[in-house]
Amino acid sequence: MIWPIFKKSMKEQIRNYWVLLLTVSLAPFFVFVYYLINEASQPVYDVMLLNMDDGIVREGQRVNLGDDMIQFMDSLILASPGIPIKTIVTEDETLGRKKLEQKKVDALLVLPADFSKLARTLAGPRPDLEISGDLSSIPYMISAIWLGEMLNEFMMESMGQEPLYTVRETALGRSGQMSEFDLWMPGMLILSIIMLMFSATIAIITEVDQQTILRLKLSKMRSWEFLTGVGGIQVLVGILSILLTLASAASLGFEMHGSYLLFFLIALLTSISMIAFSLVLAALTRSVTDVLIVGNFPLFLFMFFTGAAFPMRAKAWFYIDGYGISWQSLMSPTHAINALNKVSILNSGIGEILPELGSLIIITAIYFAIGVWAFQKRHL
Amino acid sequence: MISIRHLKKQFGDLLAVDDLSLDVHEGEILGFLGPNGAGKTTTIRMLCGLLRPDDGKIYWKDDQQTPAIEVGFCPQENIFWPKLSCFEQLVFMAQINQLSKSDAEGRAHQLLEDLGLTEKADVLAEKLSGGMKRRLNIALALAHDPDILILDEPETGLDPQSRVLVRDLIRALAKTKTILLTTHNMDEAERLADRVAIIDHGRLLKLDTVENLRKSVGEGELLEIKAEALAKDDISGQQIKTALSGISQEITIINDTLQIRNIDVLSSLNEITRILDEHQLVGSEMHMRKSTLEDVFIHLTGRTLRE
Repeated sequence: MIWPIFKKSMKEQIRNYWVLLLTVSLAPFFVFVYYLINEASQPVYDVMLLNMDDGIVREGQRVNLGDDMIQFMDSLILASPGIPIKTIVTEDETLGRKKLEQKKVDALLVLPADFSKLARTLAGPRPDLEISGDLSSIPYMISAIWLGEMLNEFMMESMGQEPLYTVRETALGRSGQMSEFDLWMPGMLILSIIMLMFSATIAIITEVDQQTILRLKLSKMRSWEFLTGVGGIQVLVGILSILLTLASAASLGFEMHGSYLLFFLIALLTSISMIAFSLVLAALTRSVTDVLIVGNFPLFLFMFFTGAAFPMRAKAWFYIDGYGISWQSLMSPTHAINALNKVSILNSGIGEILPELGSLIIITAIYFAIGVWAFQKRHL
Repeated sequence: MISIRHLKKQFGDLLAVDDLSLDVHEGEILGFLGPNGAGKTTTIRMLCGLLRPDDGKIYWKDDQQTPAIEVGFCPQENIFWPKLSCFEQLVFMAQINQLSKSDAEGRAHQLLEDLGLTEKADVLAEKLSGGMKRRLNIALALAHDPDILILDEPETGLDPQSRVLVRDLIRALAKTKTILLTTHNMDEAERLADRVAIIDHGRLLKLDTVENLRKSVGEGELLEIKAEALAKDDISGQQIKTALSGISQEITIINDTLQIRNIDVLSSLNEITRILDEHQLVGSEMHMRKSTLEDVFIHLTGRTLRE
């Protein structure tokens, strides 16, 4: 008896194409939005350099440490694409300060006339370098930090001194090879399944709204058969949605890593969880309009408080075998996103994501129990 | 086939069904006649298992308290799946009642033909006209070929053409099925029902064949005289009743209409006209007819079905 319900539900889902469209299009849309945000958030800070250094004559040769430093900076920036600084050299102080005031540059470094003279002696007064800018602006702060770093490095090198320490970065899993855009994708993929909440609730509540639930109640069909038939279609919608999101991300340069099998297991469990949650939402509503209004509240919670669209980690209430349980744990997508992050970033296997999968299954069972009880109470 | 015993249902302060007991015989069409709010729909919803009675029992064939036979229910409102075609939903309805795919398809084709919907088989239900939607509503109740068919106001919303079609179908179905229908339309009950249960305020007032019910308010004819003076209380109704008591004991005045029952109109007409003249009652219309179920209802409750 499940097959006729599955077929009926599929026809209705396709013919109610606007619900399907809403469900499968939001996550790919967000992928494009995040891509654009990511592109826009890789800026280069403009730093103006004013070299007023008179230089010195050493062993019959003219030496200008200011010029050397500018050259050093340019070569360092060229060799390290991670340094977000672009240097602009000027000889006109008035012009430099005017550009700073007009925010056409983020910082102005002024090398004093006695820079070469004072920098060469270890004793005596130190050269007085000036970095100007809007101290309240983040671009200035970043520019000033980088300028300080490069100046230090130049000074150590020019004085023939070795660095006092070296720093070695060790990437966790594949994090070193991933862009910020890549790091967002597990959340986006789960968001595509969160949207199932709407199509699944509408598929159920439509029977109440158009009173056809009366015909279903009078038939020989059992509740679990109805839920399995409708749920089956929703799992397919979830898979379509996640594949579309994945395709959108791939078209923008995202590469999926980690076990595909685990990825689909997490997607399947999350889809079932969202279908279970749909029963709770269906119990609270009576019509499609209700679903579209009331549904925004859990959508908002699932989007912004589980890590799907915004990074957030609540303080744990307690730990079970090292896995933190907080108010976020009450929302099943939290566990799905944690698991997917581990799989795609840390290349984790099933053994390492068992706490997340276990929590996801337990929360789904709770949603299901509450949903069935409340739906029966309200609509049956 | 169905025995209803002391059925009771209350919604808050409203006693919708009050100690209702009756039997439905196999192969008959039993009409539930009563005004809106009489308790007809509540009774059949309890029969279908959609409502739990507060008290009383329903016994099905072989004294079982749960129907071991197939029951088809056609609700008062049009209930269907708007995004499925007529054929698709009939097949679906049959399949969820455990008919095989081929049987379900055969049944759907047959019902579409019986209800004049063959040409609309592939049309989405939401695109049908009002009359067609009503016919589809009835077809859905029959999709799984039930033994008992319960129809709640089946003619409501039907155009005259569809009404004839549906009546013919119900008569044809009655050859093989037991049919229980509710109506507040006495014409529908008179034309279709073998027996009629008259219900008001949740109570069964009378249950019998249409002919016997008519006889219960007198075998003779009924004369109706309309006179505005009666409504305006210009003339005492009681005086008229007393004056006419030698002709009939069954005289009713409802609004502006004087009803004299159980008489031979042709032989009594001169005497009636003389008495009315004496009391200076001028009639604007005069009708002679046989007693109807409406008359039975008035006789039992003192008011019309529409009041």
